[in-house]
Amino acid sequence: MKALDIRVDALSHFYGRFPALQNVHLHINCGEFVSLVGVSGCGKSTLMRLIVGLQPPTQGSIWLNGQPPAVARAAKQIGWMAQQAALLPWRTVLEQVQLAQKINPQNNSTAVAHPQDLLKIVGLNDFAQAYPLTLSGGMQQRVALARTLAIGAAVWLMDEPFAALDELTREALAAEVLQLWQQFQPTVLWITHNLHEAIRLSDRVIVLTPRPGTVAGEVGVPLSHPRDDTSGEFQVILRQVRALLRWEKNDGA
Amino acid sequence: MVREKIAPMRIWAQLCTICRPAQNWSGAGLVAAVLALWEIAARLADIPSYLFPTPMVVFRYLFAHLGDLLLAGGVTLLEAVAGLLLGTAAGVTLAILILFWQQAEQGVMSLAILIKSTPVIAIAPILTIWLGFGPGPKVIVTALLTFFPVLINALTGFRTVEDALLDWLRSLNATPREIFLHARWPGARPFLFAALRTVGPLALIGAVVAEWMGASSGLGRVMWLAYTSLNMPALFAAVFILTALSTAVYQTIVWLEKRALFWVYPSN
Repeated sequence: MKALDIRVDALSHFYGRFPALQNVHLHINCGEFVSLVGVSGCGKSTLMRLIVGLQPPTQGSIWLNGQPPAVARAAKQIGWMAQQAALLPWRTVLEQVQLAQKINPQNNSTAVAHPQDLLKIVGLNDFAQAYPLTLSGGMQQRVALARTLAIGAAVWLMDEPFAALDELTREALAAEVLQLWQQFQPTVLWITHNLHEAIRLSDRVIVLTPRPGTVAGEVGVPLSHPRDDTSGEFQVILRQVRALLRWEKNDGA
Repeated sequence: MVREKIAPMRIWAQLCTICRPAQNWSGAGLVAAVLALWEIAARLADIPSYLFPTPMVVFRYLFAHLGDLLLAGGVTLLEAVAGLLLGTAAGVTLAILILFWQQAEQGVMSLAILIKSTPVIAIAPILTIWLGFGPGPKVIVTALLTFFPVLINALTGFRTVEDALLDWLRSLNATPREIFLHARWPGARPFLFAALRTVGPLALIGAVVAEWMGASSGLGRVMWLAYTSLNMPALFAAVFILTALSTAVYQTIVWLEKRALFWVYPSN
């Protein structure tokens, strides 16, 4: 697996006449962990869907490693995780992970791991034969995580994957994602509205303003892991991000 | 607050556990009660058997002619099941056709509604004239009667896939065929079984109606003969057999459903 860079150029997207995103520029380097924060409805998820190539943008362009998203998708280089785990209730945990490798199989990465080993990595080896509806929300997202690892994706696009979970589970899983990112070194684009989470995880936090979605600014996080929420540097960065969000609010009002 | 909400639920659950054996027999009990009431009412009103026989008279006839009736029932059942399978296959095939070839939707649905709204009693005699008194016309009538609910439910099932699941499959560049195989088809199974529960008993009615229009055997023929000779006990005996078969078909479908949809019925 080789990480890809993501480049978004002059991107605008409309739903009918309603502008969801306007003139968005982004560049995410190979192997970088970037968070995208903003209030609900600011176009974060739309931007993510455009990057995956689930729909074409109205204007502008998106490049993954210098190529359109369709190329990366065809090569199974995109690992997509959303708030819903999107599991198939009629398949066991192990079969979910196997399915990720079974679909579009001619483009499996050469480095794909064995599903059983992946379940071990996400801590589900005892639940290989369980069905998703018998699992907790956190465990379901672990299955989704194993599925992302199963295809050996070079880019992880994570659209608030743990937003529906309780605070403790959420923190634990985010910490595991961070560890997996360090281990597998993919490029990660992480959407959240939790500022602490964004700063704790990412190399850079990009703030998106709503209606229409535009980049208000970004804050680098030059802190080493593990990060302490209560440390002075952390608080300084938090204030910077908040300032960008407040600026956006005044601007909108 | 939470506890107040849960307490009645828990009591209900306990009641259900205690009453479970009774619940399983409640269906048979209810049928027995209705038959008993019927018996008493018919005797008290002193209605003659050639107008409205009591259950006792019907059962006496039924057991006296059990062999013939079961044979007729077997013929009807086979026709109904064959028609049901044919109708289901046609409904599912048409739903897949529409799913993959949207332009066909208008045409196929118009034709389907046309067939659906043509009375079976108008088609059955024509088919009998064309195809004779054998099982052929009965199977076709049953298929015509059953394909429509299957078509509608299958199509709805194919289209009712969680957006998140579709997004994930597309992010892997899954082909429409892969999406169908792994998400749409298994996801449509609850809808298909809902349709089968509806059309299972309907299939027997279809076969009987077709037989009524002319047949060499079957419950419909038994009924028609009984009707033309005003042999009410025979007519009711045939109806009893038909009802039993209908229940059996329905219960078989439910049994299959519980096995096919294990994730919907986790206790099994």
